[in-house]
Amino acid sequence: MPWTATDRTPFSRRAFLTGLGGLAVLAGTSLNQTALAEGLLDRTQLDVPLFASPRREADGSFTLSIMDDAGQDIARVPLPGRGHGMAVSPDKNRLIAFARRPGTFALLIDPFQRSEPQVLSSIPGRHFYGHGCFSADGRLVYAVENDYEAVRGVIGVYDVSGREIRRVGELETGGIGPHDLLLTDDGKTLVVANGGIQTHPGRPREKLNIDTMTPSVVYLDLENGDLLANHALEKDLHQLSLRHMAMDSMGQVWVGGQFEGDLSLTPPLVARMTRDQAPRLTEIPGPIASGLESYIGSVVANASGDIVATSAPRGGKVMFWSAATGELLGTQNVIDGCGLAPIDESAFLISDGRGGLSYLEEPSSYPDVLARPAGVAWDNHMFAL
Amino acid sequence: MRNFLIAAAVLSTACLETGTALAADTYTANVRQVIDGYIRPATSAFARQASALPPTIDALCTTATAQTKEDFADGYRDVVTAFGGVSFLRFGPTIDDHRLDSLAFMPDARGIAQRQIRRTFAKKDPSITDPDQLSGKSVALQGLTALQLIAFNKDGDVVLGDPGEDRDYICSYASAIAQNVDRIATEIETGWLDEDGYSARLLNPGPDNGQIRTSKEAIETIFNALVTGLIIVKDQELLPTLGSEIKKAKAHRLPFSRSGDGRAYLIAELQGIETALRAAHFEQNLDEEFLWIPDSIHFEFANGIANLESLDAPIRQSLKNEKTYQKLTLLVITMNSLRDTIALELAGALGLSGGFNALDGD
Repeated sequence: MPWTATDRTPFSRRAFLTGLGGLAVLAGTSLNQTALAEGLLDRTQLDVPLFASPRREADGSFTLSIMDDAGQDIARVPLPGRGHGMAVSPDKNRLIAFARRPGTFALLIDPFQRSEPQVLSSIPGRHFYGHGCFSADGRLVYAVENDYEAVRGVIGVYDVSGREIRRVGELETGGIGPHDLLLTDDGKTLVVANGGIQTHPGRPREKLNIDTMTPSVVYLDLENGDLLANHALEKDLHQLSLRHMAMDSMGQVWVGGQFEGDLSLTPPLVARMTRDQAPRLTEIPGPIASGLESYIGSVVANASGDIVATSAPRGGKVMFWSAATGELLGTQNVIDGCGLAPIDESAFLISDGRGGLSYLEEPSSYPDVLARPAGVAWDNHMFAL
Repeated sequence: MRNFLIAAAVLSTACLETGTALAADTYTANVRQVIDGYIRPATSAFARQASALPPTIDALCTTATAQTKEDFADGYRDVVTAFGGVSFLRFGPTIDDHRLDSLAFMPDARGIAQRQIRRTFAKKDPSITDPDQLSGKSVALQGLTALQLIAFNKDGDVVLGDPGEDRDYICSYASAIAQNVDRIATEIETGWLDEDGYSARLLNPGPDNGQIRTSKEAIETIFNALVTGLIIVKDQELLPTLGSEIKKAKAHRLPFSRSGDGRAYLIAELQGIETALRAAHFEQNLDEEFLWIPDSIHFEFANGIANLESLDAPIRQSLKNEKTYQKLTLLVITMNSLRDTIALELAGALGLSGGFNALDGD
């Protein structure tokens, strides 16, 4: 699909650090200046929940933005190219933002302690897929990577506890095109969604194996890399690329897919599973399904873990699911809405490609636009810090 | 139909990228027509109205009479109306240096401006009475939305200049806001008039021109701002005002409803978006089979504007009236239809693309 082609950002670590610099705390907006001492965020003064998301700025540059719970910009970090997902450390003090595939950079950002981000480049022969997660103790970061000549998905393991980030090992994901990943609550198992689509950076964003793709969700033992469970869908759904995930309060993993087959079909797009229980597909009523273009963008659970939201940016809809029963609780219209984050006890923050940040109290209320920074396009994923 | 149009959009984009079907300057005439035919006159009109506001505050604060109050309220309405004609131009000189947020802090669902004004008043912070210092303050304190909060009461009466302990302080702050708005409006006008400025970037796309590398990207910048403007009217202005039912309607969520100018602002936005769209003369780019689209769009705009003009103003007072509520509910349907016709049908027929996540997600 050539119209989705974007240039692979040529990335120079030195040029980035000297040319763009690090965290910029924003003055002159709508802020309480005391929270911004010495160019860093002061958590003791910022007594509000914070959120982070990559975005495209009005001038076409890419940044990672940190906002408060009223959607107001607080700080910004320039990115060398378009971002995608990120990982937040267990103590919520650091985050690592990944390049969108097939990008090769990741930035480790500590907005409360140091203004200069640490830059990580993927090793030769690899690129990042846009997602990662921290280990339970916050010392390691797991990043999904493409070993594109060998056509295999890999999780790069990075030690981020020292002054320099070190790559200390890797795990195989047992599939192609690993996309999103989760750490289970006990911190011992990684859940990885293998999207199944073969790509090569020499042919950016082209899909090379649509006829034979076999996506899966795997459970990996972090101790030894063993494959604990491998969940695939029925054969007739082998073109449903399983990509984004969330875990609910019952320990179920929810996964949202993007269908690579005939777009006139309306296959199921959302499934839930556990390590020992095979995927159970949810039902999207026909009239809703036909408008989604078979494409789920983000999957996120609310803070209490009883509702899971799935965004469908091509259909301009967000769907809400009961974690307990798997039933569709409701849908809301958000044009180009994709990023989702839990806010308050049970609500969601929704970001969209037209700059809007909306607060949704519950699935049946309307998305209340909190802020819409001019000229900004929020990227696919948003996170609570 | 919709899938066909999206397929058409994809096809023409693919052609553009291989350089076979479309010339590099395919849309430059449209861009030029919008800048000359709409953006420059509209930003000049806004600057003109903004420059007329400070004297009305001086007069009112010298002697508050029914006449000086009326003159100020009229002047404020004129500025707000002119602002409605430029606030959807969310690109280039309009948004540089936080100008748009400084002119009006919207949306403000959490009442940030009111809270900051209270805090500033409690401290009697003198810096907000000086236009130069005000321009360095929180954007929520700087513009027309802050002025509305201090100059009008909840019933829409002008209270600026009324006797009271803080009268002179509030008057000085109001004057500083009006001067700040005047300055920003002039900067926006000048920025758009500058032949070597942002207009030149829109008109001379190229590989070294930032994000505007082709005339298609230039017209998409404009086109997508018009679509975003329609989304703002519906999602950000009408829906929070209407709530889920008439009992939960919140008139204060309608921009500029406190001063009684909510209807005027909505009409100005719709008229502005439509006039900008007409100025582009997209009919020149359309094959005959698609010429119904602009006609349909202008018919819908006319319906929406006529609906608003038939409302009992001010909406702040009339919203709980069933008839007003129903008319605004109907306007939501009109806005949906307009959005779909423009963002799907017209964009498809023109070969333009819109969504950031939708078209190029992951």
